[in-house]
Amino acid sequence: MADYNKPIPDPDPYTTGPFWDGAKQGKLVLPRCTDCNRAHFYPRIICPFCHSTAIEWFEASGEGWIHTFAVQHRAFGGWADEVPFVTAYIDLKEGDRMFTVLRGVDGNKPEEIKIGTPVKVEFEKASDEVHIPFWRVAG
Amino acid sequence: MPSNPSMSAAIVGAAESNKIGYIEEGTTNNILFIEAIKNVCDQVGIRPSDIEGIAAPNAANFLAEYLGIHPKWIDTTSVGGCSFQMQVHHAMAAINAGIIDIAVVAHGESGYSARKNRGRGRGGRGAGDPWAPSSMFDEPYGTSGAPSNYSHAMTRHMHRWGSTKEDFAQIAVTTRDWATLNPRAVMHSRETHPAGGPVTIQDVLDSRLISWPLNLLDCCLVTDHGGAVIVASAERARSFRTPPVWIAGAGENISHSSMLEMGDFTATSAYASGHAAYRMAGMGPSEMELAMIYDSFTVTAAITAEMLGLTPRGEGPSLWEGGKAGPGGAGIPVNTNGGGLSFSHSGMYGMMLLVEAYRQLSGTAEDGVHGIEGKQTSAKTAVVNGTGGSLSVTGTLVLVADD
Repeated sequence: MADYNKPIPDPDPYTTGPFWDGAKQGKLVLPRCTDCNRAHFYPRIICPFCHSTAIEWFEASGEGWIHTFAVQHRAFGGWADEVPFVTAYIDLKEGDRMFTVLRGVDGNKPEEIKIGTPVKVEFEKASDEVHIPFWRVAG
Repeated sequence: MPSNPSMSAAIVGAAESNKIGYIEEGTTNNILFIEAIKNVCDQVGIRPSDIEGIAAPNAANFLAEYLGIHPKWIDTTSVGGCSFQMQVHHAMAAINAGIIDIAVVAHGESGYSARKNRGRGRGGRGAGDPWAPSSMFDEPYGTSGAPSNYSHAMTRHMHRWGSTKEDFAQIAVTTRDWATLNPRAVMHSRETHPAGGPVTIQDVLDSRLISWPLNLLDCCLVTDHGGAVIVASAERARSFRTPPVWIAGAGENISHSSMLEMGDFTATSAYASGHAAYRMAGMGPSEMELAMIYDSFTVTAAITAEMLGLTPRGEGPSLWEGGKAGPGGAGIPVNTNGGGLSFSHSGMYGMMLLVEAYRQLSGTAEDGVHGIEGKQTSAKTAVVNGTGGSLSVTGTLVLVADD
């Protein structure tokens, strides 16, 4: 594996540990409120919908849809080598949203990228401790 | 029952730092802050020691120390470009409560010079907290500043409402037309900037892509800028050298901080802050004769126009269509200083909105320095809306001219 040359998250172990533990195993693990049963992202110690503090972690499907996207033509560090690349907000099947660099699309043809297209999560090993989720349009 | 603070306070003066724009010899936040405060005090006819309250994003305490003053009301609210609209709101509330009679709201930001100064002189802003959610879940994905975020809202607007890049480009074209009437605007003419002077829709579409669908000319400038306004009680508002512009309404709200938490990418909290301001004023959008709305990007201005009720939902760009928000246009004038797109924008543009709204409503928009013939409008009312963060936070003011 080539060294990962882009920003690597520095996980907060207090509130996001299970998310990153899941990522290392190739699983999308999300927080969910056991009172209102809604999943949320980013992870919190309080449900942003009903304000219960009864939060559990569960393995999500790893499926979603493109909510909106943009094509980055200017970037820094390791990402500068990748322009034009596509960033997107993903509506998760279980609810709420994640941000990503979208894979399986061509940044030179934004008119061919459609909001609502189904996507699946995958993980890239950035370091021994951190695997980063990315979303891909099914080929 | 608390009293409605509408008209309990007025903006009684507005000024800029000595130099604004691309200051090639360099400057610092502090120089810009202090020059603006000194200039507005001179204009209004007070000394800095007369100031009872001081507001400045992340800086009010330091500025008080630097000036050697001991204000009894301090507001460091720092939520981006709308901080100043919110601070005027807060100052009015403090005045209405009888806590103070006079306050300064100040801005100083060396957005351009910070590059050559390698970040120094920018108020000690350090790296973000790695454990902040945005650090863990946004920053790994290669976005780089505001344009790379705001572009996602424009894509969603085009998808949901059928708007086009041409529709948004018209906003940049019309705003540039206003800049040609403002000699202090960075993009006033070929003399002030190689790319200055009028532009066409095609020029906008042909400018380089920054973050599709945003082209360079859809994006605001990054300059040096300082500004300040004085807010005073109704009892004292007519006792200064300069005329009052009354604060009829004010409101503020927040929808999110990180764009990850933005529910509807085509809506902002300006709907709520605008409603609050209109309600306090007892006025509505149809009574607004001038709109000063933050144009960090063309899409920001368009969505804000919708939120403030100046156009129907989804039709924000129509406010500028065919140049009708421009000089001599058939609609209401919008961003008569040339906007963040073409006048000046240092990072937190909200103060520039306030200064221009004051000048328009006090009849001083063509005072020989800040405007040439055609920039002064006949507007007696204005809606002023700042937007901060990633379309995150808004502050709205409804201002009216003195009788």
